[in-house]
Amino acid sequence: MNFSWFTDTFSAEHLRVAVLDALRYSTKEPWFFTEFTFLATFGIFLLGYALLFKQEWLRKVYIILFSLFFYYKSSGPFLLLFGLMIVSDYLFAIQIEKAQGRKRKLYVWLAIGYSLSFLLYFKYVDFFIANCNNLLHTDFSAKSLFLPIGISFYTFQSISYILDVYRKDIPATKDFVDYTFYMTFFPHLVAGPIVRAKDFLPQIFQPQAINTTLFKDSIFRIIIGLVKKLFIADYLAKYADLVHLAPSAYSGGENLLAMYAYTFQIYFDFSGYSDIAIGIALMLGYKLKENFDNPYTASNITIFWRKWHISLSSWLRDYIYIPLGGNRKGEVNMYVFLFITMLVGGFWHGADWRFVFWGFAHGAALAFHKAWSTLLETKEGAKAEHSVNSPWYAFPAKIGNTLLTFHFVAVCWIFFRARSFQSAYDSIRTMLFKSQWVDFQGFWFSRPEIVIMLCVAASIVFFPVVIKQQLFGWIKKIPAWLWIFIMLFALQIITQFRDDVVQPFIYFQF
Amino acid sequence: MESSNKPNTINDHSLGPIEGSSRGLIVWAGLVIAIPSLLIFIFSISPYTITIAGWELKKFQWGTGLESTSIENEEGLTEQDTTSFQPFAVTDTATTLTIDSLNPQPASAGGFKVSTTLTPFFNPIFNDTTKHRVLLIGDSEAGGLRYPLNDYCLANGHKLVACVEWYSATVFNFAKADTIARIIQQYKPTYVFVVMGLNELFAKDLKARSSAARLLAKKLQGIPYTWIGPANWEEDFGINDVFARAADEGTYFYTKQLVLPRADDGRHPNNKGYRIWMDSLAGWINTSAKWRIPLKTPTKRARPLKSDIIMMNAAKFRGY
Repeated sequence: MNFSWFTDTFSAEHLRVAVLDALRYSTKEPWFFTEFTFLATFGIFLLGYALLFKQEWLRKVYIILFSLFFYYKSSGPFLLLFGLMIVSDYLFAIQIEKAQGRKRKLYVWLAIGYSLSFLLYFKYVDFFIANCNNLLHTDFSAKSLFLPIGISFYTFQSISYILDVYRKDIPATKDFVDYTFYMTFFPHLVAGPIVRAKDFLPQIFQPQAINTTLFKDSIFRIIIGLVKKLFIADYLAKYADLVHLAPSAYSGGENLLAMYAYTFQIYFDFSGYSDIAIGIALMLGYKLKENFDNPYTASNITIFWRKWHISLSSWLRDYIYIPLGGNRKGEVNMYVFLFITMLVGGFWHGADWRFVFWGFAHGAALAFHKAWSTLLETKEGAKAEHSVNSPWYAFPAKIGNTLLTFHFVAVCWIFFRARSFQSAYDSIRTMLFKSQWVDFQGFWFSRPEIVIMLCVAASIVFFPVVIKQQLFGWIKKIPAWLWIFIMLFALQIITQFRDDVVQPFIYFQF
Repeated sequence: MESSNKPNTINDHSLGPIEGSSRGLIVWAGLVIAIPSLLIFIFSISPYTITIAGWELKKFQWGTGLESTSIENEEGLTEQDTTSFQPFAVTDTATTLTIDSLNPQPASAGGFKVSTTLTPFFNPIFNDTTKHRVLLIGDSEAGGLRYPLNDYCLANGHKLVACVEWYSATVFNFAKADTIARIIQQYKPTYVFVVMGLNELFAKDLKARSSAARLLAKKLQGIPYTWIGPANWEEDFGINDVFARAADEGTYFYTKQLVLPRADDGRHPNNKGYRIWMDSLAGWINTSAKWRIPLKTPTKRARPLKSDIIMMNAAKFRGY
């Protein structure tokens, strides 16, 4: 047997080049969890972790160093910017804790303003310049800045820490290493979940014991996340991307299926990422909160927002909606606060009016649902509710409501995904006025794989949760030594079916 | 599995402090993640194939946007470099060897006088007057171009020997497969038209496509060719420039500069569009191409096509 291919690849020269390359950063090709090099490196990192995990300080420093390297690989010099934010927020929080009265408030505003200034500058400066030019006919040139990866996430995380200290929900962290650990912990660093200090900081001192159950849970979450992202989301992305480039060039049926494709894609992409992040953190003994809870099975938009991107929606609720007044300042104000909160949520996703509109649409839907629920609580409404509770009505109504909510969310995703308002309008118009049954027949003949993948995605999303839990429970009974084969099998299956080009995680760009 | 309060989720652990963890289990966790990843990598660079129940295991595509190595840089990439890290280059080793021994042979078929030497073709401003055996290969655009090209060939004494139309194909399909080698071996063309890129206008993994395009150019084994850029229906993300750099100087025709009438799908040119396209291309070959062959405007159009048509469909949708 000739092994020259092996010895050539692993020759000293190639290894030297590979190591040098591994130490180089690339802002164009971030180091995703889905990269096999990341997985291999993380596996090797765990071997070191096994040696150090019993010494608290070493454990923390070891994870911090890996986290900083992880961030450096995607952002290079922007690591310094991140470091600057960590140092300043750490110092601000200590000052806020010490200060009293006005001074305390002043520090809070300074800290929040300081943290937000990075986000506003890097993410929104071009948006403001473009709008300023449009409105005032000025001629400022766009900056075309690189958006440091994860800035939206760690800015929100830092603000929540400052506000929690201000509200005395948690004490300011005195140990700089602890605070750095909280901010830089790599599983949640670049695309969430947005971690609250009060949930995470206590774990720094006492992570959970890594036993067989936890081992299986974490490996299982990583595998599920990889399959969701690389197998399902990336496959659907190819079709959704194709149609959204020029929606008017496609039939109504094709646009409709592209809408479904993107609806499932964004869910499998982001929840897949969250699964991997949670699995990786768990493998180190740290628990991140769940970010998704079968959101497409929600029977109304309010429930949807309790199940979708939970860490963001709860952040918006706790740090914007409730501080504004929540439902404590009258009905009209409540609707206004709801709109403001959702507009901020939309704008957080991107510096484009499409995202603002997306937030507005969801705000309107939430307000409508709130008003409708209030109506049902009145006397006349109680009658209607009685009939609603009838078993003959309840089940079909739940299905109807779920489908209605799902389709509202799906239509809103068009604005999220489209390249422009015009493109979104074209897509919806084509769907409404250029749909023919024959389109679907033709589609089935020309792209059966996409139809099958859509069916697979829908089955996973709408499959009863109880049965899923049962199934997962059985899978986790597989002995620990067999999981290496399951991992190998999963990676090969992914390789077998996925496209050569992995799409970046959608939420990396936010 | 995502609900935080349901059974079998991470909340169920009755866990103690981390000091109670099993060191062996953490090591095992590391191995469970690292070893499969390394095995996938080693398999991807090996020249071997594994088939299970008739299914050939696909190799991981290193260097196609997912991975980057310093070896794979935009400029100065050599085939030897790519073979170390890119499975498609490795799997092509055998093919490449075959191709290397396949210098275009002097051929005579159908009473056509063909070129007997390749030397003049390497002259950058060569004006060829011989009658050629023309091969057209490409994606779905080849299906439309074949008719006007056939008209041109008939009007100028060439013979369009075959058209390879690989629907939904990208440069990866052509670079990875040995299709071109086999077709060249079978038809022995003396001039090749390559047209592709319509499925790759919005591709972002340009580095990987660049190396594939260079490999494809090598697979033409020095046969004179013209590489026709895609008929852009939208501005591309750089695939035209990638192809132009991969092709020899003076062999790449930028179709995107043309405004072509389109078919109902909004993307492919219609019949008239293909004719306009071919007319412009012929004009360019006559005046500016590195490999110039006589291509005077035909007086008769839509003449019968007697060439072999080889239609293929990319096994999986490999669009944008």
